[in-house]
Amino acid sequence: MFERLDPRSPTPLYAQIAERLKVAIASGELEPGAALESVRALAARIRVNPATVVQAYRDLEAEGFVEMRQGSGTYVRAVSAERRSRQRETQARQLVRTMLADAARLGVHPAEIRAALQDELKETR
Amino acid sequence: MTDLAIETRGLGLRLGREFSLADVALSVPAGAIYGFLGPNGSGKTSTIRALLGLYPGFIGTASILGMPVPARLPEILARIGYVPERPHLYRRLTVAQSLEFHAAFHQRWDRAWVTELAARFGLRSGAEIGSLSKGETAKLMLLQALGQKPDLLMLDEPTDGLDPVVRRDVLAALLEYVERSKATVFISSHLVHELERICDWVGVMDQGRLVAQVRMEAFKHGIKRVRVPAGAVRPVGAAVTVIATDSVAGADEWVVRDWTTNSAAALAGAGVTVREVIDLDLEEAFVELLRSFRRSVGRAA
Repeated sequence: MFERLDPRSPTPLYAQIAERLKVAIASGELEPGAALESVRALAARIRVNPATVVQAYRDLEAEGFVEMRQGSGTYVRAVSAERRSRQRETQARQLVRTMLADAARLGVHPAEIRAALQDELKETR
Repeated sequence: MTDLAIETRGLGLRLGREFSLADVALSVPAGAIYGFLGPNGSGKTSTIRALLGLYPGFIGTASILGMPVPARLPEILARIGYVPERPHLYRRLTVAQSLEFHAAFHQRWDRAWVTELAARFGLRSGAEIGSLSKGETAKLMLLQALGQKPDLLMLDEPTDGLDPVVRRDVLAALLEYVERSKATVFISSHLVHELERICDWVGVMDQGRLVAQVRMEAFKHGIKRVRVPAGAVRPVGAAVTVIATDSVAGADEWVVRDWTTNSAAALAGAGVTVREVIDLDLEEAFVELLRSFRRSVGRAA
């Protein structure tokens, strides 16, 4: 779930970690009631500052995705189907934005992108 | 005011004819993981050694964990776990004997945890230290520093020259301890990428001086490369600080510091159209900062 976190990205590490967890919650990979890894275990495993993990968990809690129980751990909350689909929509939009920014840098025309995208979507269907 | 685990003001030291530390003002917040960066020979080790009282002749003031150096060094040292650049271990002792020996000096020694970590590190207790590999030696050094449950860890290039597997093990154990104890970590390295993930503060040394000391996020995101039209005139005044310029095909590139979300608008107001803002990673930002520092030293000389 945390492969290829990118410390070089302008998106801070805590936001990247929170984002991955949101995707997992939205997709149902992490079910309501599931326990997130402890701060200590996750920080050690992916080699980031424990404060970074704490901040990611706090942000998720503020957005209602998880619940932090004092002295016990952090648990996934039940998230409505509508909210999960909204989250996936945000994710899709983000992917497209990144792609379009890359395309602009490489001088690829929007029409070419559209054609390529349609083509690729046909393939995966 | 935040508590500072390490604070120096005007720290200076003359070592031989060629090298000196000058006016080093460190502020290491308690609970931070502070990356002490700098090229080889920039003064990182000398600063650490001065803080540990190994160079009594320093000028300026220094305090660690709120206590002055050198007046209260015995108390300070009891609460610091120090991993020096070069290991100082007795080659003829076994791992177990070395740990026993070390434990005797530390009241807070955590025997159970040390045993657990030693097993996890794959250190055979009967192995003679002289026969350990470089990676095993590094693990033993960290184990000895962690076992005393320090409030401050001073690590001088703790992973230099280690293979990636050992590096991971060492960093994981360190981070686990930090989470458990809320200890402060002062870690020197010239391996910039390694620190990028774990540090929340960075200090940059060059030529015996502290060139910069900032929060990691500010350091990484404050230094940018911006592409501007060829021949654009550098704005005079406070719009942004340009620390380097390059010419590339059809455009100029400026390296700027203290970049914020308002900076592009400020430049536009000064008549410079920003075509692109390029993010730099820590290593690139570090290199640009050192280049600009060396140019300014060169001009002053």
